[in-house]
Amino acid sequence: MPITQKPNRHFAGGRSLMHVSTDTTLGETGQDDRRTRLARCLERARSGELAALDEVVRELNPLLWNVARAQNLNADQAADVVQTTWLELLRRLHEIRAPEALAAWLVTATRREAWRVRTWHRQHMSEGTEILESTPDPGPEPYERLMSDERDRVLWRHFQRLPERCRTLLRIVAQVERPDYSMVAEAMEMPRGSIGPTRGRCLAKLRELLLADTEWSLS
Amino acid sequence: MTDPADQPLDETDQAILDQVRALHSLLDPPPPDLNERVQFAIALENVDVEVARLVEDVLAGSGARGGDGSRTITFESESRTIIITLADTPDGRVHVDGWLAPAARMRVELRLGGATPDTPAASESVVSDDSGRFAFDGIAHGLARLLVHPIDDGDESSIVTPSLVL
Repeated sequence: MPITQKPNRHFAGGRSLMHVSTDTTLGETGQDDRRTRLARCLERARSGELAALDEVVRELNPLLWNVARAQNLNADQAADVVQTTWLELLRRLHEIRAPEALAAWLVTATRREAWRVRTWHRQHMSEGTEILESTPDPGPEPYERLMSDERDRVLWRHFQRLPERCRTLLRIVAQVERPDYSMVAEAMEMPRGSIGPTRGRCLAKLRELLLADTEWSLS
Repeated sequence: MTDPADQPLDETDQAILDQVRALHSLLDPPPPDLNERVQFAIALENVDVEVARLVEDVLAGSGARGGDGSRTITFESESRTIIITLADTPDGRVHVDGWLAPAARMRVELRLGGATPDTPAASESVVSDDSGRFAFDGIAHGLARLLVHPIDDGDESSIVTPSLVL
């Protein structure tokens, strides 16, 4: 379901909201194709052709990165977690029963690994001389410069005002297409059934903030 | 299916979500070498391995990277702890001192990523002594990882570390 850039009836001006380039949005068929393709890569890896995983790495790393970062890890920790997750996958290549569930498996493994790292640091660093400050979500100020469009800045500012749970959920939801929401459920440790209502509440909150902002509605 | 998550989003919500995704890609993208590091890390001949996790990466000395301070990295796996200390040498290369705990004689392999994906990866192996110590001298900067193999083919599997940038 590609996004049509019709005039937007909710906001004056009717401008498209997409100021920074967005990835191609896959339709459900495209999504199924992707799942089948990734499952095939897994089968090839299982039969000994590990290089078949390179494609999966390129495709799923952005999602896994976002899952790790959404768990309040700093950038170095998140990169390590993503790497360890892939190494764990190698060890368990033959244990994944449904190859089409590969992405969901990786998301779960990333979340668990992130939890391990956080716990380890909490236990070992609390009395240390040098506490590694985690940089959770990117905060607003230093990033303002990177955003050339005023509407991007406005959205980012209000996004930061959302409760942490909402920021995390929307960040992950934005990375996956609807048929794959079981991955979001895994990443958030939420029942699949509550993803929809929570997503709805978080988006409603964000819309409310945006609509109340004259800089947003007037641009 | 009546799961609200399966209801299509209206145009505005979808556009907001697209912008949320685009802004995260812009402001907090994965490190540019993440794919390369992962692909290097998972290039293995044998998947029957024990994964060692990076648990600590500490710069000693002045604390400034690039000074004469050394860097100590600790990996932990189920069966062993691997500690390595990296020191820059005057010829622009890296000296690696390592310890295995519990101590054991094992074959320690250091794999180096090529400067480009087409360059074949190099590999050097040493055997740790009875106290678990091992060393590599004159190592080039770049992507590297350790594989620790048992000397005899027992039940023990090899231990692999994630890749790191020397």
